[in-house]
Amino acid sequence: MSVLEIRNLHATVGDTEILKGVNLTLRSGEVHAMMGPNGSGKSTLSYIIAGHPHYTVTEGDILLDGESILDMEADERARAGIFLAFQYPVAVPGVSVANFLRTAVSNVRGYTDGNGNGSMSGGVIGSNLMPMREFRRELNSKMQEFNVDSSFARRYLNDGFSGGEKKRTEVLQMAMLEPKFAILDESDSGLDIDALQVVSDGINKLATENRGFLLITHYQRILNYVKPDFVSIFFGGRIVKTGGPEVAQMLEERGYKWVEEELVGGLVPA
Amino acid sequence: MSVLVKEPELMDPAPVMAVAADFSEEGVRALSASRNEPGWMLDFRLAAWRRFEAMAWPKSTDESWRRTRLTGFDLKNFTAYATPGATSRRHELSPLLQSELGEMESAASLIFQDGGVHYRNDNPNLAAQGVIFTDLQSAVQKHPELVRQYFMTQAVKPDHNKFTALHAALWDTGAFVYVPKNVTVELPLQAILHQNPGLGGYHHTLLVAEEGSNVTVVDDLLGGVDGMQSGVIELVMKDNTVVRYMNLQDFDHSAWNFLTGRAVMGRDTDLRWIQVSWGSRTTKAFLDLELNGPGGHGELLGLYFPTGRQHIDHQTLQIHNAPNCFSDLLFNGALKDRAHNVYMGIIKVLPDAQKTDSFQRNGNLILDGTARADSIPGLEIEADDVRCTHAATAAQVEDEYVFYLMARGLTRPQAERMIVQGFFQEVLDRVPVESVQHKLERVIERKIGG
Ligand SMILES: Nc1ncnc2c1ncn2[C@@H]1O[C@H](COP(=O)(O)OP(=O)(O)O)[C@@H](O)[C@H]1O
Ligand SMILES: [Mg+2]
Repeated sequence: MSVLEIRNLHATVGDTEILKGVNLTLRSGEVHAMMGPNGSGKSTLSYIIAGHPHYTVTEGDILLDGESILDMEADERARAGIFLAFQYPVAVPGVSVANFLRTAVSNVRGYTDGNGNGSMSGGVIGSNLMPMREFRRELNSKMQEFNVDSSFARRYLNDGFSGGEKKRTEVLQMAMLEPKFAILDESDSGLDIDALQVVSDGINKLATENRGFLLITHYQRILNYVKPDFVSIFFGGRIVKTGGPEVAQMLEERGYKWVEEELVGGLVPA
Repeated sequence: MSVLVKEPELMDPAPVMAVAADFSEEGVRALSASRNEPGWMLDFRLAAWRRFEAMAWPKSTDESWRRTRLTGFDLKNFTAYATPGATSRRHELSPLLQSELGEMESAASLIFQDGGVHYRNDNPNLAAQGVIFTDLQSAVQKHPELVRQYFMTQAVKPDHNKFTALHAALWDTGAFVYVPKNVTVELPLQAILHQNPGLGGYHHTLLVAEEGSNVTVVDDLLGGVDGMQSGVIELVMKDNTVVRYMNLQDFDHSAWNFLTGRAVMGRDTDLRWIQVSWGSRTTKAFLDLELNGPGGHGELLGLYFPTGRQHIDHQTLQIHNAPNCFSDLLFNGALKDRAHNVYMGIIKVLPDAQKTDSFQRNGNLILDGTARADSIPGLEIEADDVRCTHAATAAQVEDEYVFYLMARGLTRPQAERMIVQGFFQEVLDRVPVESVQHKLERVIERKIGG
């Protein structure tokens, strides 16, 4: 049982403050949906949790099981069990899904030989790789399970992938990396119904009791497939309301205009 | 090798053995005599030497030499040519050469050192098919008619430039490959040059593929400490031939390297030429595809990765002389430290070459702000129904890519390495011999790390 806690998080990019006091506690086994309009800072929050170096945290903290992760590099956070499914995964030409994932999985699972020797000796971490056969077997079975065609193992990471293929590959990577906490940044946007079904099925399979999900979304749609325990509304760089699934329903009916007038009006000093 | 009995017409008043290797007409004569060459080859060398002397050294105002300077280059710093030693048996070879041989499964192999053959592994099956794979010096003796017909007569002529003239006068090592009509050589033919320190070297690859033949040749170029190499590649492809050619240059970073290569391609030919320039302090390479028959398909793919203060310059020409040909050029390289890369390329389409389909791309990945890449693409088109495109890109390893990979658990060095390796992959994927692919991957990994 783990806890990811975000405490009064303020963050800036350049001179602009984007996060203005985010508070959120996510426990293993929970699915927490976070809904908010474009530009409200959802991706920024997810990047900061994952350790993107471009943002500066000016106040507050992020704790994983009581320990601050703010000083950790992105890769250390990944190895500590944090996974971010990107809203816009970048294409990396020439790097095959299988090759990349084998290195990632080996690191996250701690395949190291302790003395920095190995085919990828960039320090001790990554000095040893998961045995090819074992890796292949697991990748193949997970590709089947998560509806990713086996040809994708050899394809270059996100290179020429459709929007849906990218999102599915993100879910596959999550399945391989087995994180404690997964932040899914609009994994549902831009998908047709079939693709949404596949991605949702994947999330549901992975939503076990020892894993927590922060499901960031712009639309209520995905919540027909993935049932959240909590729903928060994110607006202007902070959470303005948290409740159960009924909050999503309310938002669906009344729209962000209601949020602005009813919730933010009273909360944010002009 | 010692001087053999000389034919009377080769008699020369000067004492042959005693002359120190020298950049002079006497030097040329001595070299030719020491190889016991027939008179026609001596005449060829002498004519080339005179051309060399008559030609001016490149100037920084010459378009080809504007970005690649010869500052610090002086023939006086090199022994004009090497004196070959005895050949070795496999177990006597240096570990480096043993591993070079062991890396690849080849049909036959040759190692050159000190201006001559250091090791040879002949294949009687090839000879039975009429395939010739031997050193050029032996070819001059055993197949003079073929050498006279093809050596620097069709693809690269002695007066192509100052360095080809020098080469023609002093050429020493290199393979002669002759594949008869309709013969397919399944495994690659491998020629390795290991150049010892301080020497001038003039490596030559002459490939003649007769109609309907199919062959793969790999040239490995090593050594060259404080030396100079002025090489020539000639690929003569008759109709319906398939050639895979790899030139893997990994000289010491103190070597001056000049190279001129051209493929002359007949009807319905299919060429893939991989040009790798890892080593040398300075490389200036002129590489041409000449498509002379309809239906030709030529690919010229380059890789480079200069580090430190290396300077690499490839100048290419895709000449379309015939209709319905396809040529595809892709040169990709990464640059580190204070390295400098130059790529200049022209697609030239002559009036008869309608329906030409031609590409030219150069991609640079700049790993340090102190490195520099110049890319000068060009088109000269005299036919109207053609499709020609060229593109040059210069990119850096973007933070967004590094972050994406790190967010999946890769360390920063791993992420950067993977992105750089990935950048080379498009060309690596097209390297036709798997063991060569792996070898190139290892060099890239070494260069990223070092
Ligand atoms: N790197 C950046 N530089 C400048 N502004 C940024 C940067 N990243 C995000 N922003 C700004 O921060 C705000 C929040 O963006 P984002 O987190 O992407 O919102 P969301 O994901 O909710 O649509 C936007 O106004 C955006 O323009
Ligand atoms: Mg977003």
